[in-house]
Amino acid sequence: MVDNAAAPVRSAAKPRASLALAAIPGLPLVVACAGLLAAWDIAARALAIDSLPSPWSALAEVPAILGDGEAVGNILASLRRMAIGLGLAVLCAVPIGLLMGRSRAVAAFCNPLMMVIYPVPKAALMPIIMLWLGVGEPAKILVIFLGVSLPVIYHSYQGGRAVEEKMLWSAAAMGMSARARLFRVVLPAALPEIMVGLRTGLVLALITMVTSEMIARQNGIGNILFNALDMAQYQTVYGMIVVIGALGFVLDAGFQVLRSSLVGWAEPAQPIIAGST
Amino acid sequence: MTAIRRSATEAAIGLLPIAMLLALWFAIATSGLAPPALLPAPQTVFMRLFHLLGDPQFLANCAATLFRLFTGFAIAAVLGITIGIAAAGSRAVAAVVTPLVRVLAPVPKVALYPAFVLTLGFEHSSKIALVVADALFPILLATYQGAIAVEPKLVWSARAAGVSQLRCLFTVVLRAALPAIMTGCRIGLVISCIVVFLAEMITSTEGLGNMLVRAARNFQTVDMFVPIIAISLLGLALNAAFNALRARLLRGYPEES
Repeated sequence: MVDNAAAPVRSAAKPRASLALAAIPGLPLVVACAGLLAAWDIAARALAIDSLPSPWSALAEVPAILGDGEAVGNILASLRRMAIGLGLAVLCAVPIGLLMGRSRAVAAFCNPLMMVIYPVPKAALMPIIMLWLGVGEPAKILVIFLGVSLPVIYHSYQGGRAVEEKMLWSAAAMGMSARARLFRVVLPAALPEIMVGLRTGLVLALITMVTSEMIARQNGIGNILFNALDMAQYQTVYGMIVVIGALGFVLDAGFQVLRSSLVGWAEPAQPIIAGST
Repeated sequence: MTAIRRSATEAAIGLLPIAMLLALWFAIATSGLAPPALLPAPQTVFMRLFHLLGDPQFLANCAATLFRLFTGFAIAAVLGITIGIAAAGSRAVAAVVTPLVRVLAPVPKVALYPAFVLTLGFEHSSKIALVVADALFPILLATYQGAIAVEPKLVWSARAAGVSQLRCLFTVVLRAALPAIMTGCRIGLVISCIVVFLAEMITSTEGLGNMLVRAARNFQTVDMFVPIIAISLLGLALNAAFNALRARLLRGYPEES
């Protein structure tokens, strides 16, 4: 084993057995999960209150939730809404972002509006949107759409802006039309940055989905979670938290696989800096 | 000269969509297309906000929200910067922190809120805990990224000049990573602003989020718009204040986008 390039910065850079173990893929994650469960267990024992059950009883609740047809239906309904909201947001936000990145005028037009909209908690618009559209699917999908759009626009904008001018000139010199340049040069060049935006958007979609269902209690994951909280079914509350947490992790990991197959040529993914709405 | 004129034109172009949005709102509200119960006129909403600024109860709600926001953000900033710098400085810390962050960062933190309510109660602490949970990761990740990107020669020079490794972290790495840290903190601040509002909407007895929920239950549409506009203005003001602070702290640093 050889010391890596940054090693001189750290004084004791000798490869140790513990660090070699950390190189096995997946193992650190399993250990991290085990550590979290252990911390939870200790907290549950130390506090000894009804409202913090031990992790084992919460985990035992997970198969019960996943075995219940109604709960699974709720989860699938939530995921479907999330997919529609996310898909619509991507279809609208990526072209807007790329346009902003390629045209100074469009950027000047859109930027201040985005700055004003950015700190608005999108899920807080839910009560007003419910007044207009009712409590059904459209209201929830609209809120997810709003929550996801901004980060995707922002990252597409950054990606579009950073496209190497020389590549565009070469393409133009080879006789590519403006339209072809957009699809064959700008889009691929901006794709890694767009993927960063999509990753943030994915996490945001999940957050907005849970929050919107918490406000419009009809069905869905958020509805199960917060109804259980209101009815003091503590095991279900913690079981659902585990399910939602796992869902977030699985979606993110799945997206990473997709990302590396699409833009594996680009630099490794930067860790997520997710916003929240 | 042309540069100044150009940026002035761009600012004017930028104000256009905001003005158009307000005009559209005004037009729909006054044309009677939407009844005032569904969409109150903008001037009604802003007048109401203006009136409420003198109302002690509204100010108490704002104060509760601000207290939770700043306490949570401060805790998240201290924790995030400390852990981020420590992880950049020591491999052992990084080996512990990296997998934990990978597991916890993509988890939707709102889902943890019921757990915070059940263990910490309905008062300030559960909201502050949610703000910390949400704002921590952007700050931590930005600090870590900034700190590992610090030019190693800076650290070597300091070490060669006889600075201890621990002091080196504070005097060299922390300073050099400051621009990245400020970026993380700005994201964290906007997130705190949003999250504190959501937490207050879910369970609370005071705060701006609670005002919105209470107005929604009573179908007082004007009062529903007021807290949303208040929190957005608050977010904008905090962002501007933070940018001013950033410009002050980063004076003399190389300019970044």
